Amino acid sequence: MKSQAMQFPMNIPNRLLRALWPLLLVAAGGPVLAADAPAPSANAPAPSAAGTPDAPAAPGDAAGSTRSLDEQIQGLKKDVVDLNKDLFVLEEELLFPANTQVAVFVSMDVGDFFALNSITLKIDNRDVSNYLYTPREVSALLKGGVQRLYVGNLKAGPHELVAFFNGKGPHERDYRRAANVRFEKGVGAKYLELKITDHQRAQQPEFEIKDWD
Amino acid sequence: MPLALIAVNFLGGIAWIDAVAAAPADVPSQPAPDFVLPAAVGSNVRLSEYRGQPVVLSFWSSRCGQCASQLAALERYYATYRSSGLVVLGVSVEDDPQRALGYARAHPASFPMLLDQSKGVSRAFGIDRLPTTLLIDRSGVVRYRHGDDKPGDPSYVAQIRALLDDRIGTP
Repeated sequence: MKSQAMQFPMNIPNRLLRALWPLLLVAAGGPVLAADAPAPSANAPAPSAAGTPDAPAAPGDAAGSTRSLDEQIQGLKKDVVDLNKDLFVLEEELLFPANTQVAVFVSMDVGDFFALNSITLKIDNRDVSNYLYTPREVSALLKGGVQRLYVGNLKAGPHELVAFFNGKGPHERDYRRAANVRFEKGVGAKYLELKITDHQRAQQPEFEIKDWD
Repeated sequence: MPLALIAVNFLGGIAWIDAVAAAPADVPSQPAPDFVLPAAVGSNVRLSEYRGQPVVLSFWSSRCGQCASQLAALERYYATYRSSGLVVLGVSVEDDPQRALGYARAHPASFPMLLDQSKGVSRAFGIDRLPTTLLIDRSGVVRYRHGDDKPGDPSYVAQIRALLDDRIGTP
């Protein structure tokens, strides 16, 4: 007979149990080991301070058990990371199914002519995101990072996305520019990318929306 | 028997009063909601980027009488403990950003002055009076809340030192 845990999608309880198993073992094993140890008798010889050949403590064994414990901790951390990833994917699948999912990403290249301050996103004339950027986030984008600005659900059919970019343009002037795209949402997930690049000849920033089909 | 009941009730009442008196007066110990706000001067500020540093968050308005002296006291704390990693953020709940800018210029501070025009952040923190100052520990938990005390209260220094020394256990 198959257990309930075995039938659960993605095997999460099993992984959780496996991840927590070393902790349970340590928690349960400690007192048991202590209880199993023989009680010192009254006429037993006192342990000598200097190391003697019949001393029970073996440094090699202690180092080995420490290494084993380290490996167990590393394994536990890896399991927790894997579990977190699985839960994230599960959440994505439940909240944003592929047939209705729309995701908007932001990328930035060079950035000599534009210092990004915020992006306002409208889909079908409805505000869906208003994101303020900190210098650290802008720096991450300039290093090649891609940010997922928005993820949501849309029904199949034609839609329009408008992005407003606010920031400082050339010569530290306030700069506000909009870019829009009309796209067709099909049965699969739709990915759109807002690209901010420098137009070297015009000495101006360029804003482009790319449709990843 | 009735005497015994009265004695039990009396003792129980004393115990209840003691429990109320011993409870911390105003220590919320709740995770601080993350936010990003534009600064009156300079770039935007996100609270979670200061995780690992103690943060003093003070809400103010130009209409509040004690806010000026509160900001001056915070400036002193910031000058003293900035090198130890203390972060101080002032948050204006002014409707008019120009008015907030004017007030910030009239009361210059070296820490960022943020503009919460929509009051979304002050609502998230449950601010019901001004000035209100929150002390957030390195793990992002609100540890102390000052609402109606005098600006420059000596307890601020002890609490800031406690946060800097990590004397408060992380949750």
